[in-house]
Amino acid sequence: MQRSCRIWNVRRHLSSPEAALALVLLMLVASVAVAEQPPLGHKMNPVSPPLAAPGFTLPDMDGEMHSLEDFRGKVVMLNFWATWCPPCRREMPSMQRLYEKYRERGLTVVAVNQFEDPDLVFEFTGRLGLEPTFPILFDRESRVSERYQVKGLPTTYLLDKAGKIRFRAIGGREFDHPEVEALIESLL
Amino acid sequence: MGRAESIIRILVVPLLAVLWVSSGLADQGGVTLSTEAETGLKHWKITEHGLDLELIQVPPDFIRASYAARGLPPEVSEAVATRCVFGTIVRNVSQSALSYRVADWRHVKADGTELPIKTKSEWLEEWHGMGVRFSWSILADAPTFAVGDWIQGFTTLDAPHGSRVTLKVVWTIEGKRYAKVLSNLECAPAPQQP
Repeated sequence: MQRSCRIWNVRRHLSSPEAALALVLLMLVASVAVAEQPPLGHKMNPVSPPLAAPGFTLPDMDGEMHSLEDFRGKVVMLNFWATWCPPCRREMPSMQRLYEKYRERGLTVVAVNQFEDPDLVFEFTGRLGLEPTFPILFDRESRVSERYQVKGLPTTYLLDKAGKIRFRAIGGREFDHPEVEALIESLL
Repeated sequence: MGRAESIIRILVVPLLAVLWVSSGLADQGGVTLSTEAETGLKHWKITEHGLDLELIQVPPDFIRASYAARGLPPEVSEAVATRCVFGTIVRNVSQSALSYRVADWRHVKADGTELPIKTKSEWLEEWHGMGVRFSWSILADAPTFAVGDWIQGFTTLDAPHGSRVTLKVVWTIEGKRYAKVLSNLECAPAPQQP
């Protein structure tokens, strides 16, 4: 509040070229603030040649078991994540929006949590602005992420209907970006 | 003196100076240093030859608290927390694949001696040997990033809290090897005794 008052006072006493310079300075301040939270990006990279996705069976939040085989015939966005990972938290709402948009057409999102307790994850998802409705599975000892050679969190794979890994993204993304949606469309 | 020149001299230069200090930014040989206003933690950042690298001080108490929250035993958190730890964000901002190996990075001592940095594989070998199946938090050993990929994790140096260290970072793009030496990095200070 104090800063904006100061700027307003400066601008009030400036003539036109001076006001333009003040605006440039204001934009500089804004750019510093924005730089602290860089955009997530949206590029998913092709996996060539496509690899067969390793199978797995893991429990969900209620202890019910799910296998990758259960999703055969669907396009699967397979996301490895944890609540303590900031980009994982940032990208999750965009996965939910993508899921809501394409689930009826055959996309499923499967979020495979690493090392954490279902109670902790349940509490976390309740605090998200957009609560996930896609399956969250628990890979408590990271054995599945090892088979997928996940180097860091988050890592996301896009699997085609035949269970082949077609695209990969290491690091957080905005998944409801038109370019990602175009990839989904190409696989559906 | 022209009108524009007087504006620059009277208004813009002092304001820019104020902004520079208030945002905590400084540039030293392509390394941008900034300080978080709220926490006082320092960040160093380079963007060079397709690599965007950010190092952030990680205080030992943060490590202890975050590992404890994961249910990890104190011997795991202490082994990391007693080191000089930088939260490290590596981003491929080139238009080609980028790779690095932490095994190629070096902690350069004041006398020029180069020490290897303990890798994620070495940490995991210890942890798994203790029966702890936690595989995260340490910066990935040797990934290859496609365009736009990025990763984050801890880089752990064998140096005291509050000391100044030099880190040599190496990466490869299209078979060409690049290196950058980041000098005068400050390890997070030790927690204050009550």
